[in-house]
Amino acid sequence: MREASCPPHVSFCNPGRARNSCRGRSGRAGGEVRVGRKGEIYTTTLIQSIVNGLMMGGVYALIAVGLTLIFGVMNVVNFAHGEFVMLGMVLTYLLHHYLGWDPGLSILLVIPIMLGVGALIQKTLISSVIGQADEAQILLTLGLSVLLTNAVLLIMGPDYLSVKTPYKLSVVALGPVLFSVPRLIAFFVGLVFSGILWLFLNRTNLGKALRAVAEKPEVATIMGINPKRMHWLAFGIGISLAAGAGSVLTPFFYTFPSVGGMFVLIAFVVVVLGGMGNIPGAILGALVIGITESLTAQFVALDLAMLGVFILFVLVLVFKPAGILGKGKLY
Amino acid sequence: MAMNDPAHASWKRYVPLILAAIVILVPLAVPSRYILRTLVNIFFFAALGCAWNIIGGYAGQLSLGHSAFVAMGAYPTALLLLNLNIPPWIGFIPGVVLALIAAYLLGHLVFGLRGPYLALSTLAFAEIVHILLLHFRDQTGGSLGVTIPFGGTSVWKLQFASEQPYYYICLGLLGFCLYVTHRIHNSRMGYYLQAIKENQDAAENLGINLSGNKVKALMISAALTALMGGFYVAYFYYIDPDSVAGSDLSIKILLVAIVGGVGTVWGPVVGACILVALTEISNYLFGSGRAGVSLVIYAIILVIVVLFSPRGLIALLPKGSRSYRSE
Repeated sequence: MREASCPPHVSFCNPGRARNSCRGRSGRAGGEVRVGRKGEIYTTTLIQSIVNGLMMGGVYALIAVGLTLIFGVMNVVNFAHGEFVMLGMVLTYLLHHYLGWDPGLSILLVIPIMLGVGALIQKTLISSVIGQADEAQILLTLGLSVLLTNAVLLIMGPDYLSVKTPYKLSVVALGPVLFSVPRLIAFFVGLVFSGILWLFLNRTNLGKALRAVAEKPEVATIMGINPKRMHWLAFGIGISLAAGAGSVLTPFFYTFPSVGGMFVLIAFVVVVLGGMGNIPGAILGALVIGITESLTAQFVALDLAMLGVFILFVLVLVFKPAGILGKGKLY
Repeated sequence: MAMNDPAHASWKRYVPLILAAIVILVPLAVPSRYILRTLVNIFFFAALGCAWNIIGGYAGQLSLGHSAFVAMGAYPTALLLLNLNIPPWIGFIPGVVLALIAAYLLGHLVFGLRGPYLALSTLAFAEIVHILLLHFRDQTGGSLGVTIPFGGTSVWKLQFASEQPYYYICLGLLGFCLYVTHRIHNSRMGYYLQAIKENQDAAENLGINLSGNKVKALMISAALTALMGGFYVAYFYYIDPDSVAGSDLSIKILLVAIVGGVGTVWGPVVGACILVALTEISNYLFGSGRAGVSLVIYAIILVIVVLFSPRGLIALLPKGSRSYRSE
């Protein structure tokens, strides 16, 4: 089992720049297992690959539910979403670097901070383009994304930063299939927070008010709900979940200013796949995308992993633009 | 609009002539290589912004993937020059043809989509080109890119030791892009595109062929963009997937047009002057290592433009120069 000795961030495919660093070193993770007959190896590789994809999918789910919530409630496509993942990663890095906090602890601070930041951004910037032409919101959020990336570049520099936790290289083996501990944590955090969001929207009055604004803003206003406040809340929750995903990513993913670019693309693909504004759709879509990425990396070529994702994206756009679960309204 | 306005006729005749004379005489009067390089940069981005403007500005179909067309123009030009010694002024042709074909296929695939879906699929398209360029490293050099050796001044290979020839070539290309945009602006197709931008459904009800016009606009835009990709190779001698197919370039192209003024002939020129000047000023003040500064400022300008002056900065010009923008 040679994989066990490999740091997790090179043994599977990462989207983004880190990809270059793993090329040729242990590209085909499962391919080196030399036990049993050929068919057995193939099955193990396949299962391992699906497991890796699923674990990454959990993180994608957390990023994508935030994006889909913002779209569902406000009808805004947030092109700066990946930058909030990046901000979450940077905050977690700083907390770890200066105070020695574990990412699992940082996430509890990162989420409330970003909730406030999100509400503020919504109040000052995004609110003035709601209801305007698509171009205005796309360009505004795109501008925000360029601004955040370069502001962080200016302050932190272009270096790749990593958070070294004691469990960074730990692996849990279940038969021949290996689970990297930080990825497993990220997967569960992703699914648990996505689930909490779903419960919040379905079981609490505040959540129901959010859904009311998403479905019929006029009627919701008549019922005494202030849509502006709901917009602050939606944007705040949306980006704080993205930042939370950033927190759990740090133990196995490099932190650098432009890391958000790749995540935002994946999140878009996931959201379109699941149906824009559809939360269960986003969770399912995230797992599908995680597996697609992992299988392409395993069986086609490591550096073509994202190509598989984009081809799936184009197919969905052309043949089923409403997504696999259809356009939902946040339930 | 002021095209037929007699009050502005005398204005219109002389201002462009004077400006053109200044622009043409600059290289003879200014010996500074640095200033000429900056001006070439301005022309280059203005031409790209102009090309983007045809589909993104006039037709209102926001493309976030125009760098893919730059790469389609640049890579064939560079590879033909490097491997078969075919000069860039012939070598750009396959790139333009490739861009036309890609634009035709992409247009038919994505122009049924609107708003965010369209923007996302163009973004994905550019990302696919970027990934493929990185993957086929035996042909494209992968992330190392392609370097063109400088073999001394040669008119045949468009290699010059001095800056002046590039200045005039790029000026000519910008002139060509402006001419094409100007022709479209005042043509039937231009009005169709503007109708599509205002309201697609209404335009369709009036009998305008939506996808036909959009695909045509994208093809013209892609061909001009690929042409500038060819110039990129001749001028910079080096290409790699990040610089010619990366999302940074796509965003810069779009910023030039949006900040200058969408759907206007001269808007991208204004936008390019601001973008390039800002980059140079911030490099001077903060050093080029602090590359983030100019983009931070530029992003702030973009946000301000979107919030307060959606027609771009050209709309803020005094009334006398109105004839250079569309109303």
